[in-house]
Amino acid sequence: MLGVLRIQGALASAGQSRLLSARLLASKSSTDMTTSRGESTQSPATEHFDIIIGGGGLVGTTLAAALAKNSTLADKKVLLLEGAPEFRGFNPTGPYQNRVSAINHNSIELFKSIDAWTHIESARYKPVKQMQVWESNTDALIQFQHDNFASDVACIIENDLILDAVYARVKEAANVEILNKARIQCVRLPKDSNSNLSELQLQDGRSFSCDLLIGADGANSVVRKEMNVDVFSLNYDRMGLVATLELGEDACDNSVAWQRFLPNGPVALLPLTDRLSSLVWSTTNEQAKMLQALPPAEFVDALNEAFCRQYPRVELADKAVQALNSLFGHNATQHQVQYPPRVCGVQDKSRATFPLGFLHASSYVCNGAALVGDAAHRVHPLAGQGVNLGFSDVRFLVESLATGAYAGFKLGDKQHLMKYERKCLAKNVPIMLGVHGLHTLYSTQFSPVVLLRSLGLQLTQNLPPVKNLFMRGAMGQ
Amino acid sequence: MLRNSLFASGKLRHLPAIAIVPKLTRSSSTAKPLDAVTQKEVRHHENHASEWWNQNGTMSALHALNEIRVPFIRDGIVSRGIVKPAYVNTTKVLFGQNILEVGCGGGLLTEHLARLGAQVTGIDLGVKLIEAAREHVKCSSPELANRVVYKMEPVDQHAKTNCECYDAVIVSEVLEHVNDKVALLEASVRTLKPGGSIFITTLNKTIPSWFGGVILSEYVLGLVPRGTHHWDKMISPLDVQRILDTMNCETVMVNGSTYDFWSNNWRWINNNQMCYALHAVKQPQREYN
Repeated sequence: MLGVLRIQGALASAGQSRLLSARLLASKSSTDMTTSRGESTQSPATEHFDIIIGGGGLVGTTLAAALAKNSTLADKKVLLLEGAPEFRGFNPTGPYQNRVSAINHNSIELFKSIDAWTHIESARYKPVKQMQVWESNTDALIQFQHDNFASDVACIIENDLILDAVYARVKEAANVEILNKARIQCVRLPKDSNSNLSELQLQDGRSFSCDLLIGADGANSVVRKEMNVDVFSLNYDRMGLVATLELGEDACDNSVAWQRFLPNGPVALLPLTDRLSSLVWSTTNEQAKMLQALPPAEFVDALNEAFCRQYPRVELADKAVQALNSLFGHNATQHQVQYPPRVCGVQDKSRATFPLGFLHASSYVCNGAALVGDAAHRVHPLAGQGVNLGFSDVRFLVESLATGAYAGFKLGDKQHLMKYERKCLAKNVPIMLGVHGLHTLYSTQFSPVVLLRSLGLQLTQNLPPVKNLFMRGAMGQ
Repeated sequence: MLRNSLFASGKLRHLPAIAIVPKLTRSSSTAKPLDAVTQKEVRHHENHASEWWNQNGTMSALHALNEIRVPFIRDGIVSRGIVKPAYVNTTKVLFGQNILEVGCGGGLLTEHLARLGAQVTGIDLGVKLIEAAREHVKCSSPELANRVVYKMEPVDQHAKTNCECYDAVIVSEVLEHVNDKVALLEASVRTLKPGGSIFITTLNKTIPSWFGGVILSEYVLGLVPRGTHHWDKMISPLDVQRILDTMNCETVMVNGSTYDFWSNNWRWINNNQMCYALHAVKQPQREYN
């Protein structure tokens, strides 16, 4: 039951990865190459940078900002490559966007350390005070909150707002250049420790060399392919459906995140404002397509039904959960499922789908290159861990590069990059296995499994130390 | 890191050094051809000249040692107050420091120090090693070329022309291969400016270090070529300290370290039963003969 409680948010990683890989892979002859500083250097010679980051998504851009902020690495020239046109910015008074992330405490600390948090704070975000997770086959249920709701469980932030905040930091950094519409054509890495530069060529023919190439280019990472590492990946044959929802008047202050495991996958409501929530609904490919195409009114009905509908119960498991609760001295009324506010509308064109999968690279580093974020790992959004793991990679990598540079290591020296990999694996692997385990555990209706998972969930709910352990893990503390 | 600095108590400095002093005179004689034992050591290391820069080969532990010895040397130099505050915490931290590395081998440590801005001279007795070191700088880190000089030269000869001209001297993983440690240290100290630092890393002479450093790593696990280390050449930190005391060098820090072969990782530990790093400072003028 590891990770039962990592139920915050949802979207983050998978959606972002698809977006990114599409940007990088899309082949389109690019004629208007611009840099953030308007220098258009068209020299045919190879330009050298100390660090090149391939992929300017959430994780890649945050990494650039964190590198720029680090005093030991201040003399390193950094280039950020992004396949899309220049980021158009974020309008904090505009309509809410459908791509949101549940950001945990650790990631917020990272934003604070690179001065990006005030930017987010002054725009808009929604703190989550409580989470409730329950399922469809029994009464088992779990709730997370800090004592007396003293602090937030997580914050729901729009992806574009995070990007806007870190992008602003990158633009004001003197040692970072941004290159938009830059699609990587091919990469060459130093194969042995004697040659020392990583080289890459863009689709428009420009070439660059660097001491360290960082692959932040999503689940289909070009850098990872060149690194020749083994990749373990699973396609869940599921899709995530996102949408921005309007809530009924019973929403109150709307500070609870809800997630219910249905036979096809979890459906989650993440609060955005008092009357708006973001939806992440993981389900079969067919159902996702069908739901996306439904007229708004029917979609809203389907959604309300998903949260309230009574599914066939597993009686034995139900009784076991009741017995367990009475053992802990709770009676049935104390432990009833609360239901989320009624959804009364879906915003126009906010529905989108993305494929779900599991991916883990056997190694994150080699001489001259390192992977961060979805390029190294991709998880099911059910615990909202994807992008938070990416941000934790950023912290580890910057820390490790700074220590290494201050000890005279070359940036691309595998000897020292291994330290980064070791820290990441120790943190990421248990979380990823936990999330994958949860997905597997909840994709069956086989009675013994239902019985065990319900008991496990209920036990966790009733044993505060165990619950806190999971909660701390999910919040990255 | 200061926990072991108390070793440098004045008590030790006044221990009789009678056994050591007579040797000092011998070391200053003119360069002689190397004796048989030294030649054997040099050849042993030269046989691995091509392996030196392979991080996954027999030198992997030496590569990994940079993780702790570079910070030890760097922080030792910074603690002397001779680094501009603006350089601390930047990659120019050793800018302007003149450093001698005695027994530089293929230059693993030399390049790291140069990358932090130091002007480093590496000397070694193995001609193949010096060639490998020069080759590596030329091919892999040409940007360091004007900060690194390699010479095939015994240290006592080097000391003659470079008396009191270095801010720091490093004798890293060398002492355990040398018979006449006093001569080597004496010549090394002679090249130091008064107030300069000498950094030594080596194995202790204990049963655990012999078991781990010789039996386990050479014969059982094969991490290091056989015949690299010998019991009778190992030396305890206290002995090093006594020798340095006779040369007017005050030991300011002794840190114990150990190697985890399963993760190729060095770490500091609370005792110096296995390996240790020692930092001593040459005191301003005082007669010591």
